Amino acid sequence: MSWKFFSEALFQKAPHALLVHLLIVFVTVSLAIVISVPLGVLLTRRNYQRFGIVALNILNILQAVPGMAVLALALPLFGLGLKPAIIALLVQSLLPIVRNTIAGLLGVNNDVKEAASGMGMSARQILLEVELPLAMPIIISGIKTTTVYVVSVGTLASLIGAGGLGYLIMGGLALFRFEYLIVGAGLGALLSIFFDWALSYLEARITPPGIQVE
Amino acid sequence: MQFVNQNSTTIVEYTQNHFELVLTAVLISLLLWVPSGILLTKSDKWARRALAIANIIFCIPSLSLFAVFVTIPFLGLGRQSALLALVLYAMMPLMRNVYDGVKNVDRNVLEAAKGMGMSTGRIMREIRLPLGMPVIFAGFRITVVMTTGIAAIATYIGERNLGRFISEGLVRSNTNMIITGAILISVIAVGLDTFLGLVEKRVVPRGLRVRR
Amino acid sequence: MIELKGVTKLYQGQAVPAVQNLSLSINRGEICVFVGPSGCGKSTTLRMINRMIEPSSGTIEIDGKNIMSSDPDSLRMGIGYVIQQIGLLPHRTIAENIAIVPRLYKWPKEKIKSRVNELLEMMGLDPAETRNKYPSQLSGGQMQRVGVARAMAVDPSIMLMDEPFGAVDPVARNRLQDEFLRLQKEINKTIVFVTHDINEAIKMGDKIAILNQGQLIQFGTPEEILTDPANDFVENFIGYDRIVKKLNLYTVAEAMKTSFGLVDEAEFSGINAKIPNAEVIFVRDQGEQLVGYLTAEDLSAQGAQRLTQVARQKRLSFVKLNTPLPDALSLMLENDADYVAVLDGDRLCGAI
Repeated sequence: MSWKFFSEALFQKAPHALLVHLLIVFVTVSLAIVISVPLGVLLTRRNYQRFGIVALNILNILQAVPGMAVLALALPLFGLGLKPAIIALLVQSLLPIVRNTIAGLLGVNNDVKEAASGMGMSARQILLEVELPLAMPIIISGIKTTTVYVVSVGTLASLIGAGGLGYLIMGGLALFRFEYLIVGAGLGALLSIFFDWALSYLEARITPPGIQVE
Repeated sequence: MQFVNQNSTTIVEYTQNHFELVLTAVLISLLLWVPSGILLTKSDKWARRALAIANIIFCIPSLSLFAVFVTIPFLGLGRQSALLALVLYAMMPLMRNVYDGVKNVDRNVLEAAKGMGMSTGRIMREIRLPLGMPVIFAGFRITVVMTTGIAAIATYIGERNLGRFISEGLVRSNTNMIITGAILISVIAVGLDTFLGLVEKRVVPRGLRVRR
Repeated sequence: MIELKGVTKLYQGQAVPAVQNLSLSINRGEICVFVGPSGCGKSTTLRMINRMIEPSSGTIEIDGKNIMSSDPDSLRMGIGYVIQQIGLLPHRTIAENIAIVPRLYKWPKEKIKSRVNELLEMMGLDPAETRNKYPSQLSGGQMQRVGVARAMAVDPSIMLMDEPFGAVDPVARNRLQDEFLRLQKEINKTIVFVTHDINEAIKMGDKIAILNQGQLIQFGTPEEILTDPANDFVENFIGYDRIVKKLNLYTVAEAMKTSFGLVDEAEFSGINAKIPNAEVIFVRDQGEQLVGYLTAEDLSAQGAQRLTQVARQKRLSFVKLNTPLPDALSLMLENDADYVAVLDGDRLCGAI
């Protein structure tokens, strides 16, 4: 171990790698939320419910594909760089959120929905004021799963030239420069644990107080 | 296709290696995590700690974990590091699901069994394990599929398995190689998942099947 | 007024209609109870009134206006709706739950707040204490009250109640029923009430509609139904204690005798002369407390000096004017008494 390489990795290479990694995570997760939550909502509406099983099955199969393979396949399809990496990561980011959105919405007590509709709340009001708030903890939990996944598989994004913390790790492995490797791997682990913790906290915070009491 | 024909021996070798690694990792995981999952139901305090640790390990990016183990002298590049990492990853899905499955059996059923004079061991064998089977098997299925996927990444720490097609293909810009590797792993992983899904339907007692 | 005309509901894929050609009208300010065994179509009928279910044929009019001509959401906003499971939003406080419909009507905040407090008080709940609680912190009976308060929030003239007291224990149910009847005297709503419990129907209903297999079997006042059941089904459904149940319809006030005597202990000498026609004479002491009673037989059989003792030996019990008759009778049996005193407030007003 040499302090010179260590500090070089930590202070010169890591900040940029970390920023790129965060960029990948934020863009992918945001896109995943924007696509998955409405999709989950749609698949629980009466007219579209029958597509739910089909959609979940497709996403389930996609989920079994190893992340490395998905990233690898993005290269011939979309080329090198950040965009292909994000598209590849997005493919597998959808399922946890879609699944949890559906589970959360279906989990809302029917009596509550019935009462809300009986009071004259419109379908839209029931969705926004009753169903989504009650399903939110479960949706957040899905977002957490996705985020941790993206941080983790995101380290492989450097394979197709997207940079990020994986770049430090790969470089370290290729050059036998363990200092790089430790910095990259350590930051990756910390980042992932941080997101897990932060989103768990959000999940607990956002759980409506009336439900926590139980 | 041409690539596949030309490299059939390599493909067979890599596939064999891949399965060897996955099989060993899953076996060790079963031996370690199933009993510990059961043991954890005895102490809430230890269960919380162990599950927290499992969760943290699960969060660590796989490439990171492999990389860190390589730096540890007696593990080094190669199989031990890969195995250790894979087994540790399996802790989360396997131990957690065994724990959940065994723990969350309907209280009334347990009460009734106790009332009939069943011993704790008997309750475990005849009630908790069978009733927890759907959850336990789901954990097993996730573990197998996940291990198959992550094992590919171990190519970066010297494993000669299916991941190597991808890593080498990327280095050499050989698209055919990349596609062959990626599709092979995907087919194997999806195939295993589907197969275990079918087994799941048989293994789980009728009337207990988890609705998806 | 709610008017159902030839209403039929046939669910898809079912051969027999859930509700078949049902016609009846419910007058303003009346409690109309739909009662029948499970699956008789009572809930379906109720739910058609606020268009939670759409009828297959026939029309439903509220105050002469076909409900199909109004938007379902605004129709429901104007009709109170209480269900057995209550369906309070678990993530909203009690105050927020009650405020849902006023908010849909876009009432100003201050008005909502005072209305919520008013309703909570009306329901016998302490506003300061209850407002900010969550449903999970309340007991079953309290939640039921909040459910009723929520339905009354914008003072709708019609309320639909589907087994509103079904989920609470019998003691609490009884109390809720009494409270609700008292409340109804003040608020005078048109109420459609569904229950499977004939006793609840007799107690709550101004009119009772007995349904079976989607058809209206009998529609009338509780007296009419108890006195003159339309057929064997109704008779069986009411049960063999029809007569006893009928007593439930009466209160002490309707059965009591208003001719009674009242004397002070000190005046025993001249009783016969003073109150010749009374069947029963209540006796009070110097502090004007009632201490016992005498019957006509006692008077003729005993000498005046022993009357005090005789009067005091008898256990005197009291009932209120609005006590149901069976309760008064069972009290008499319990105390082995020939008479009980009826009080209107503090004033003695009759005897049974």
